[in-house]
Amino acid sequence: MRNYYYPLLLLMNWIMASNAYGQMPVKVSLFSEATSVPFDKVITTPIHPGVQLGTDFHWKESKHIKLFPSVNIGYMFHNKLFQGVYINGELGLDYKFSFGLNIKTALGIGYLHTFTTQQEFQFENGRYVSKRDRGNARIMPSFSVGVGYNLKKNESRSAEIFILHQTWLEYPYSPGFIPLMAHTNFHVGSKFYPFNKNNKK
Amino acid sequence: MKYLFLSILILVLFGACEDDPVFEPSHYFCDSGIDNITAGFDYQELQDLIDEMVASGVPGVMMSVNYDDTIRWSGSSGKADLANNIDLSPCNITRVGSTVKTFTAIAILLLQEEGKLHLDDLVSQYLDNNILQGLANAKQASIRQLLQHSSGIYNYIANPRFQTASLNDLTKTWQPKELLDYARNEAAEFSPGSDVQYSNTNYILLGKIIEAIEQKPFYEVFAERIFKPLNLSNTRFAATDPIPDGIIQGYIDLYSNLNVINSTEYSGWDYFTADGGLISNSNDLNVFLHQLFNGYIIQESSLNEMITWKAPKKQDSETFDTYYGLGIFRIDTDFGPAYMHSGDAIGYFASMVYFPNYNVTITWATNGNYGKIDDFTQSKEAMEKIFKTLLKDK
Repeated sequence: MRNYYYPLLLLMNWIMASNAYGQMPVKVSLFSEATSVPFDKVITTPIHPGVQLGTDFHWKESKHIKLFPSVNIGYMFHNKLFQGVYINGELGLDYKFSFGLNIKTALGIGYLHTFTTQQEFQFENGRYVSKRDRGNARIMPSFSVGVGYNLKKNESRSAEIFILHQTWLEYPYSPGFIPLMAHTNFHVGSKFYPFNKNNKK
Repeated sequence: MKYLFLSILILVLFGACEDDPVFEPSHYFCDSGIDNITAGFDYQELQDLIDEMVASGVPGVMMSVNYDDTIRWSGSSGKADLANNIDLSPCNITRVGSTVKTFTAIAILLLQEEGKLHLDDLVSQYLDNNILQGLANAKQASIRQLLQHSSGIYNYIANPRFQTASLNDLTKTWQPKELLDYARNEAAEFSPGSDVQYSNTNYILLGKIIEAIEQKPFYEVFAERIFKPLNLSNTRFAATDPIPDGIIQGYIDLYSNLNVINSTEYSGWDYFTADGGLISNSNDLNVFLHQLFNGYIIQESSLNEMITWKAPKKQDSETFDTYYGLGIFRIDTDFGPAYMHSGDAIGYFASMVYFPNYNVTITWATNGNYGKIDDFTQSKEAMEKIFKTLLKDK
């Protein structure tokens, strides 16, 4: 039983010990989801809207390199096909230039729960009945690349605007028919530090 | 405040679900036009078979048989519309997908009979460079190779970019050029004539050839040369009305768990191409195929060309051994050879099979596909069960 809680305790201890809470950013992005081959297009139409909320944890940082874990929750609506809520964890890597720009990449893994956007009929006792969709559980490995820009390039806790091209897989998709489905999300977002005491006047 | 995000999420999740349209039973009323002749024929076993399909998870099934022109029967089971609980009738109209390829082949063979083309003419004699540009093998392939899937031209449907794009915009109306573009700049599967492999791209080009020769939409040629002469009153092409009144609702088991959703409005991508897009029913398909193989549509010489078979270099071990004719396939069954074509549309499936040793034709159509539903309607096991029920006493 003690082993079960150990990783969680370790994470809490790490956050508190590093005084990370006060320095944790909030990341908000709006995105468009698409079923799409990875990196085929920057933005695939029509727009399927989504929103993501997350934060980064401080891990390793040098003059040009920043390595950080992050967690996110999000929602997306793909018209006529599905809507989904997810939570994911990512390991991000930023390469920072001195003029405020940074190149971003991240590897992630998440849990996605999808619901149909249409009335669903479930087969029970030899007939189809209209019932509330209980949804489908998915895992969603992801890979992101993008760029960010620090609004105050000399401050390490500067607010940032960013765009990300995130490609992710939905697994399982349709067992025996389509094993997995490729998606892309095009994010436009901002990172800021509302809990940083130094920001308060 | 802390519950705001959660509240919004719950509202979105439960408010974003779109209910099926409401239809009265009269919406699906059809004048059957079906003349069952069942004297001395116990059709109950076939009725039991389609009832069993429905009891397994197929929304609706219609089936038609013709035994040597002495017995004709069409039946149905299940629902035309799940939301409104409306029974399926054998005369209802449905999507029959790629079965249209046999009609396309017949149209081409009729044009050859009229001296307007020859099967061994090159495709490039009829189609402009702007259509063929970038389609590997297209300029070297003959019309016969298009018909027999021996051109080696890449199948646009197999392109993952197309598969994801079609799923991304489920109500998009695709134009032929957009579909051909997914086959452009893709390598050919093999050199023309050296093998056979199913490719929808072949039949888009055949539709274009018909239009180039006849100077009208290919589906008007179908109507003039095939639908009207055979009195196929329930058959039409989707280009004239993609979702006509009375078409039964289609359902997909997208996630292989027999939880289906309505896909009727999801576009077939073939509303304007000759590789799919046909609307018909099992009765009309049965009339068509039976008339075809009883010599009432094309000349005997054309029919012989149509059933000159070519084997693929490698057979698929999970299906019947299959041989490619012109717009038709031969499969080897326990009851001898069978000539057939089947077709999927999103939410629909149809199949038509002729047994030359018995002069028996069977056709069936369903308003559900993908996932587990396919196991009951189009798998090798499902087809063997149908054939056994049909022919075990023969």
